[in-house]
Amino acid sequence: MTDDDRKKNRYEFARHAPEYRDQFQQITTEMVSKCPVAWSDTYGGHWVASGHKEVFELARSAEYLSNDHDVKGERRGYKGISIPTPDGDFQGGFLEMDPPGQRHYRQALNPYLSPAAVARWQPVVDELVRASLNEKIETGRIDFVDDLANIVPAVLTLAMLGIPLKNWDIYVEPVHASVYTPPDSPDIERVRQSQMAMYQDLFGHFMQIKANPRPGMIDALARATINGTTPDDMELIGVLALIIGGGFDTTTALTAHALEWLSEHPSERDRLSRERDTLLDSATEEFLRFYTPAPGDGRTISADCEIAGASFKEGERLWLSWAMSNRDPAVFPNPHEIDLARTGNRHHSFGLGLHRCIGSNVARMVFKRMLLAVLDRMPDFVCDPAGAVHYETIGVIQGMQHLPATFTPGPRIGDGLEETVARMQVVCDEQRLAEPVTVRKGTAQVES
Amino acid sequence: MKVHVDPERCQGHTLCNMIAPDVFQLDDVDGHSTAIIDGEVPADLEAKVAEAVRSCPEQAISPDPGNRA
Repeated sequence: MTDDDRKKNRYEFARHAPEYRDQFQQITTEMVSKCPVAWSDTYGGHWVASGHKEVFELARSAEYLSNDHDVKGERRGYKGISIPTPDGDFQGGFLEMDPPGQRHYRQALNPYLSPAAVARWQPVVDELVRASLNEKIETGRIDFVDDLANIVPAVLTLAMLGIPLKNWDIYVEPVHASVYTPPDSPDIERVRQSQMAMYQDLFGHFMQIKANPRPGMIDALARATINGTTPDDMELIGVLALIIGGGFDTTTALTAHALEWLSEHPSERDRLSRERDTLLDSATEEFLRFYTPAPGDGRTISADCEIAGASFKEGERLWLSWAMSNRDPAVFPNPHEIDLARTGNRHHSFGLGLHRCIGSNVARMVFKRMLLAVLDRMPDFVCDPAGAVHYETIGVIQGMQHLPATFTPGPRIGDGLEETVARMQVVCDEQRLAEPVTVRKGTAQVES
Repeated sequence: MKVHVDPERCQGHTLCNMIAPDVFQLDDVDGHSTAIIDGEVPADLEAKVAEAVRSCPEQAISPDPGNRA
């Protein structure tokens, strides 16, 4: 078979272009129906899988797909999960590794991120949510991104890592801004400065914990054996960057989009609040499907193969579009509509196969607690479309920069954010909350 | 109807446990699912099991309608 035969289904796919965001529904419909696996000449040439069945088959074909990002040129020179490869050769933790090393990392971190492990944190999350809302509740105005959805996932992620909770504001800005700031923006210098400050803080805590054990995921990584050896510090910093990047911006993006939609559909918002006992789970999965915060992942074909009706050659690059496969009408009736009670919701928003998002349980819990608190304390909120800022491109994260809203003011309940963060630090330290679930099973005890 | 979770396919998405907590339990350490019910699924849970089968992103759950002991 010639290359032209193999690549006869073609589509000019440019996920980093602003037009891809603007025309997402039209492009998705076209690709899913006409070329669910297509060759695109963009970004050095790569395959794009958009059909649900095709993405399912491909993502689970671990024997023919590699996530490896071989930054030191020790193996086959594969380029990891970003297409095109970003500037600066940096391995993105175990998401840019293959088994067995990838599996060793997940085994080290699973006891911190399993459903049972995450449930222990719910009282802490509720306190952080309550306090964040307190800061705005009397004014009748809030920015759901800046004042809530940026804060809670960040503080919780630091707590689980073993970093002081009050440092959250060193981390929030660079993590979000590095996703939405284009490299040619006049802002990029400031973003890079804030990123440097973040990595300095992170590296400092990593070195401290390496010397003196302290509960949390950093401790687990500093003492992990991967492929029979102790990984070097740079590799571990890459793993920490993956946890931080995965823990912050994605949950923020999901929460902002869900609140924006609920503001536009007040009767659905009231129904969700009223019927939360039966609707909250399905609504959460539906927001995940529809808004797919992380829209896709790249892979490298590791051996010639025929999968999902296409013929691939070793070394070729492949983009698995979770976002487009989540709109395939063969699996999701009325795919471009949000149905809070949707059943059979086999969405791909946390990926598939052995790289399934390891933080998925954290994301769901934090999202649900933030959403319920807003429904309870700001039930009539109205988002301001003129002030809402969506990321200009959706190549990396389908996120929002700002989402201002107004609501009928209400009373504060308990203390503010700074005091609460300080109290939660004491709770974390005294109860050793950041221990793995294998060591500490009980739920956090919090007095509000 | 009987039900089985393929441990090789399950990746811990947890939807089955959300839909039918009386049928599927999740491992404390990695969140992977197993069926609690070894024999026949009670009739009043069959619809939920069917929904869990349909919702599993990895298609790791199989009902065995014909395999009655």
